[in-house]
Amino acid sequence: MILALLGAHLAAAVVAPSLMRALGGRAFAVLALVPAASAAWLATQAGGRGAAHEESVAWVRDLGLSLTFRLDTLSIVLAFVVTVVGALILLYCSRYVDLGSTGGSPGLLGGALVGFAGAMLGLVTTDDLLALYVFWEITTVLSYLLVGYLTTSAASTRAARQALVVTAGGGLAMLVGVVILGETAGTYRISELVADPVTSTGPLVAWGVGLLLLGAVTKSALVPFHFWLPGAMAAPTPVSAYLHAAAMVKAGVYLVARFASGYADLTVWQVMVLGLGAGTMLLGGIRATRQLDLKLLLAYGTVSQLGMLVLLLGYGTEGAALAGLTLLLAHALFKSALFLTVGAIDHATGTRDIRHLRGVGRRAPWLMVAGTLAAASMAGLPVLLGFVGKEAALTALLTPAAGWASLQGAAALSFVLGSVLTMAYSLRFVWGAFTDGARPPAGGPVSVAPRAHVWHAPGAVLVGVPLALAVAGLVLGPASVRLERGLEGYSATVQQMSAPGPEVHLGLWHGVNAPLLVSVAVWALGGLWFWVQARRPAEVPIPLSPVDAARAYHGLMRGLDRLALETTGFLQRGSLPVLLGTIFTVLVLLPGTQLLLGQNRWPRVDGLRLADSAAQVAVAALVVASAVLAARARRRLRAAFLVAVTGYGTAILFLLHGAPDLALTQILVETVSLVVLVLVLRRLSGRFPDDPSALTRRLRALLGVAVGVVVGATTLVVSASRVHPPAAADLAERSVDYGAGRNIVNVILVDVRAWDTMGELSVVLACATGVASLVFLREEAMDRVRAGLRTARGDRAGMRAGTSETTGAILPSRRITGILALDPERRSVILEVVTRLVFHTILLWSVYLLLSGHNQPGGGFAAGIVAGLALCLRYLGGRGYELRAALPVMPAVLLGSGLFIAAGSAVIPMLFGSPALRTWDAYLTIPLVGEVHLVTSLLFDIGVYLVVIGLMLDVLRSLGSGIDAQIARERESAPAEAEVGP
Amino acid sequence: MSDGYAWMVPLLVLLPLIGAGLTLAAAGRTAVQRVVSVTALSGMTVLAGVLLWASDTQGPQVMFVGGWAANEGIVLVVDRLAALMVIVSTVVTLAVLAYSIGQGASGFDEESDGHSPLPVFHPTLLVLAAGVTTTFISGDLFHLYVGFEMLLAASFVLLTLGGTAERVRAGTTYVLVSLLSSIIFLAAIGLTYGATGTINLALLSERLGEIAPGTAALLQLMLLVAFAVKAAVFPMSGWLPDSYPTAPAPVTAVFAGLLTKVGVYAMIRTQTLLFPGSPFSDLLLVAALLTMVVGILGAIAQDDIKRMLSFTLVSHIGFLLFGIALGSTHGLAAAIFYVVHHITVQTTLFLVLGLVERVGGSTDSTRLGDLARISPLVGVLFFIPAMNMAGIPPFSGFLGKVGLVQAGVAEGSWLALLLVAGSVLTSLLTLYAVAKVWGRAFWSENARGITGQGPVRGGHHEALGLGVLAPTVALVAVGLTLTVVAGPLFDITTRSAVDLVLREPYLDAVLGVRAEAGP
Amino acid sequence: MSVNLTLTLVASVLVGTGAYLFLSRSLVRALMGFLLMGNGVNLLFIIGSGPAGSPPIVGAGDGGPMADPVPQALVLTAIVITLAMTAFVLALAHRGWQVGRDDLVADDTESARIHARAEADDLGSEPGAREQAEEIAAETERSERGHHGRRDDAATDEEGGTA
Repeated sequence: MILALLGAHLAAAVVAPSLMRALGGRAFAVLALVPAASAAWLATQAGGRGAAHEESVAWVRDLGLSLTFRLDTLSIVLAFVVTVVGALILLYCSRYVDLGSTGGSPGLLGGALVGFAGAMLGLVTTDDLLALYVFWEITTVLSYLLVGYLTTSAASTRAARQALVVTAGGGLAMLVGVVILGETAGTYRISELVADPVTSTGPLVAWGVGLLLLGAVTKSALVPFHFWLPGAMAAPTPVSAYLHAAAMVKAGVYLVARFASGYADLTVWQVMVLGLGAGTMLLGGIRATRQLDLKLLLAYGTVSQLGMLVLLLGYGTEGAALAGLTLLLAHALFKSALFLTVGAIDHATGTRDIRHLRGVGRRAPWLMVAGTLAAASMAGLPVLLGFVGKEAALTALLTPAAGWASLQGAAALSFVLGSVLTMAYSLRFVWGAFTDGARPPAGGPVSVAPRAHVWHAPGAVLVGVPLALAVAGLVLGPASVRLERGLEGYSATVQQMSAPGPEVHLGLWHGVNAPLLVSVAVWALGGLWFWVQARRPAEVPIPLSPVDAARAYHGLMRGLDRLALETTGFLQRGSLPVLLGTIFTVLVLLPGTQLLLGQNRWPRVDGLRLADSAAQVAVAALVVASAVLAARARRRLRAAFLVAVTGYGTAILFLLHGAPDLALTQILVETVSLVVLVLVLRRLSGRFPDDPSALTRRLRALLGVAVGVVVGATTLVVSASRVHPPAAADLAERSVDYGAGRNIVNVILVDVRAWDTMGELSVVLACATGVASLVFLREEAMDRVRAGLRTARGDRAGMRAGTSETTGAILPSRRITGILALDPERRSVILEVVTRLVFHTILLWSVYLLLSGHNQPGGGFAAGIVAGLALCLRYLGGRGYELRAALPVMPAVLLGSGLFIAAGSAVIPMLFGSPALRTWDAYLTIPLVGEVHLVTSLLFDIGVYLVVIGLMLDVLRSLGSGIDAQIARERESAPAEAEVGP
Repeated sequence: MSDGYAWMVPLLVLLPLIGAGLTLAAAGRTAVQRVVSVTALSGMTVLAGVLLWASDTQGPQVMFVGGWAANEGIVLVVDRLAALMVIVSTVVTLAVLAYSIGQGASGFDEESDGHSPLPVFHPTLLVLAAGVTTTFISGDLFHLYVGFEMLLAASFVLLTLGGTAERVRAGTTYVLVSLLSSIIFLAAIGLTYGATGTINLALLSERLGEIAPGTAALLQLMLLVAFAVKAAVFPMSGWLPDSYPTAPAPVTAVFAGLLTKVGVYAMIRTQTLLFPGSPFSDLLLVAALLTMVVGILGAIAQDDIKRMLSFTLVSHIGFLLFGIALGSTHGLAAAIFYVVHHITVQTTLFLVLGLVERVGGSTDSTRLGDLARISPLVGVLFFIPAMNMAGIPPFSGFLGKVGLVQAGVAEGSWLALLLVAGSVLTSLLTLYAVAKVWGRAFWSENARGITGQGPVRGGHHEALGLGVLAPTVALVAVGLTLTVVAGPLFDITTRSAVDLVLREPYLDAVLGVRAEAGP
Repeated sequence: MSVNLTLTLVASVLVGTGAYLFLSRSLVRALMGFLLMGNGVNLLFIIGSGPAGSPPIVGAGDGGPMADPVPQALVLTAIVITLAMTAFVLALAHRGWQVGRDDLVADDTESARIHARAEADDLGSEPGAREQAEEIAAETERSERGHHGRRDDAATDEEGGTA
């Protein structure tokens, strides 16, 4: 049932904005129905004496988080307060909030308030500690939205953020406490945690309870975290009335009350609860008596009252618990009434400063009645519920078990002092709000009176709601005897302290006894304090102590911002060499220390062999020399050629090691990358532009050497610790009978690990499209290329037609005229002639490589690159025209269809139910050719062939003729400029 | 080990690859491209869903490609972890695709004078999806490298789309850092083959146990360095905030969602399968703590919201590393849950930032103001995932964090408790950073005075088309469903963590079957 | 398994010089470094594949033990991937040159700006701690009637009020 109620609140919150647009102000009243309904249902539960209502829905079983709810006295009282006050405040809002205001959105206000009521209802009724935390943080976020309601003011958003950071910070500390308690106790059910408290000796439990209390302390604004509450007064008054008087701040008090019956005897508990509670009560009280703004007076009053409530409910004896619960109820009633009264006053007069309030009492007598009644209950004057609670508290506290010198004694003393202060600021409130007593300081700078306010009387609702709350405090006073039976259910469970406290009963008259005399003294002293203060002219209160918690918080936040700025500025320089240098350093440090410190198996002397052959040593020397020279080279082309030498050297090393396929591919790849390198280098400056300082060069050299040494040493250690034979040892005969091919490497590429090759094809495809996208950049550039291809295809057709229709003369094919157009000194006739001779034979050889690859060195890759190099020859001969004539096809089509064939050939075997890329072979006898051994993996190889040619074509078209076109365009646009570049 | 559903495994990669081939061939016609990509990705999502159910009920689904046995050919393994990662990443990629289709071609290039860059977005996105899926389902170390290269190549192209000066500079940084991490990974594979004679993960986990522990530690360290660069773990996380924010909104969204998580997945797989009970958990814990704290401090120092989110992305990788480093079943389960949450929420936030850029004209929080009033929908769409990321209950970010804190407290060592404190502090600072951005951009903290009308700076305000709003709202809804289905989802991640720590289910599934008989 | 010292030396020199070049600011020079390191790492595979042997082609070998074909296939795939990456990086270098007239990799502007701000200790536009505290205090004392309290001056007092 409770879950249903929570759902209703959620639904109301979600629908609130649209409701607001539809019904205007009255929407608040409609929203008020939801908490009112919950209050009604709670009333039915409170009456029943049967077993406590319990319900549970599993949410995340592995975390121990389930939405379980259990109603007992404490939760019913709190839930009742939360829902009733919530409903009344929503009603109050309907007349208070100005819908046309541009500051905040009323829909958000209504929705957040209803959501808040739901979250609080969940918080006080749940029996799962983690679920309690969930509701706890939801209230924090909603209070952030509510306090920052006036979005146009920077200060209110900053106040909202201050409240959010403090309460969420405390909440997160509490989360750790919750998890510690939950993990050590093995359960997150609050009833079980409280019934048999975790008593393991370790410090962990003390830490757990301490962190739990830290959450309560920040939420209930105890010292030193009290400053966010007055700051949160930037929120609209009804929000302050609800959040900061009746609901949110009570969550911390509820937590203390809930865990008091289990952990009140822990020293960390006594110190935090009694110490902070007493301190807050005093500090809040003193501050309240010196405020000029009514709302701030009430805010500091609330801080003080919360200290008192935490002190009482955490005291640990049954009597104190009963008194605490009564005062909690009283506080909810009178404090929300006072806040709403202040709201009405602000609405009526346009100010809350006591120096400018004139004749409010005369003009709104009922408002004065409500305000005075509530203030009287706050001060604990007779007949009101506040008095009953205070009397019970005094009886419970005045006989501290361990005498006056103990913590309890100090707490009792500060309770009395606090009550005096409460009396003082209650009188100040009534005097400031309703009488004309408070004069601006004579002679001093007259604080500029705000523009003469048009008085318009607060409506019936603006007066009626606070009046109802105040009267409730009056009615419950005499009825407190019956109230005691209701509250006993909870206070009976609190018998933590070794010596049970004095017998405490509610009621208006207990005869003339010590508490009554103390009360009279409190009233007298309070009146004296007020009288002394009222005489002094009211000027802006100078802060008591230099350390002001609010400024400390903002100092901390600026410190945090500075720390963030410094660390990020230092670590995140954004320079690439630093990034790469860090990676290399980590690469050197981690394996390096493992090599030095860890016990590794270094190769024994007999496990080392100098070289496999003399040729290997010679080639190795060549490669090493050219690598070092390449590192020192300053000119681009020199570096490029030296790197190419190391490439070819490696190819020879592969060959010597017995890897012909690998060597062939390495040589072809090295040639292609050289060609592509030169195509790009022709645009760049001759020398490398970066000339790092000597120190950086030395540092980089050191890092390079270190990386080399670590990799070398790791190789030695790794090879020495090899104990297993190669996993695919029997691949030789498997590749012949299952893979149907004798060249094992090619069988691996197109059959055994064909899945790798397919992935690699998509890498090639992506890079090729990347090259095209980086060179052509725009769509229309690509359109020009397509147009060029269409004319090329047209030429090819035209050439076959031979004669033009009109003149009948043999048309010189556009391809030749194209070449003629090239300016003479760029052309080398020998290259063109040789290309024309050799081009087709190279293509034939590449097709041979493709087909024979399965049994001899060759295969898709090598064949594709060979065909690519042939295209490259054609390009070098006749620039773009030749290239288009040679292969008038868009590279994307080649790439796309190649990958499609390769991936398609993987799917076909699956259609027959066998695993992907399964290959079959067959022996065909073609009449002319004779017996041919066809293997289905050839289809895959053709896919590879097409993709590699696509890459080559794309590279040549983009980096080759694409850049030519750009050079030509630049030359046209700046002909006068001298001939630039090679 | 039934291979009833094993045939679906290779389709997870084949669908996007065939799609990429088709969309590239159909370069001119964008309508065809869109249909092909959407069908490919939706097909992948359905397959991944079925495989998740199959792997959860019948154990890992294994496909021996080409019929070759585990010690020869490539094995594709889909266990709960892999299936979970594939389904989340495909859903996220689908949302990004829908967003980019809704955004129209002009969205890719602010400065472009109406001309869209080359129609390479669809094929490249499909290759990216194929690469990411390959890494998740690969049962072979070298094939994992090929998967990395696939998604890297695609991400290079997507990052430098349009070739503007800023993208080229950021692209260069990203390209070189990624190339370096790939080279280190390749070297590690070469050395692993040198040490054990195989690169199949299942065989490796057996053989690495039998060689000298010092050598296994060396290989583990090199692999960790390579994956740490890709997962942006401190101190190698500087590259991410410099390169991600410059790309167009959908591209940054898919990067933020997937790329770093591939590195994290590789760490989970190698740490649990190849190096159980590794001596480096303390080192990883320290790295996790530093990644969290330094990352979030970076986020606080930023003004631009995209960079702030990139830093929080780096910082929350620390949470994942924390779960992995603990190595306990509960820690791993929480980490896997947090990965699923992190992919969804980060992509959502970056998509929403695309909306903010269209409405507010910029993502620089000092120049924006009052967005919540201009467009309340964008406000809500930002607030929910932002709070989710900051770990505010009841969202999935909170649930993952609670799991990690519980695992840390259960571990009990002072370092683990230090990590617990670090993670709690980080989520508080994340909340602070988000609140700062929310105050400036969505409320009007930038407005000095309490003027009635908060000034709205920033350039033009494009109306938000449905094509752009629908995928973002859908992704936020997915984020919320993660919260609702958190119970069963956490069960799956716990069962997955148990199997990972146990290793037997994986090894039996892969090595149980000897080589298939001749053709 | 015995390890071939020459190849190890060559591999480590290649990786070392590659690392040195990789750190340079010029993109093309870094690419050279990438190519050198790539060659070096490919050699690692060959060292890992054991001693030299006859080419892994069934029937064609000179009878001696065949070299391990698997790492050769892996290296072949790696080489082609390196080719594709080189082409892309070169296109990127060209585009970089086209845009910036040199292929030096500039620092990230935003990070550099924050680095400069850190040097100058300027915390941006946030007001000092004291002003923030006072601003909030002032805010709490401001009357709400002007902003979201109901402002029905003009409207007659329809509630009639009980004044």
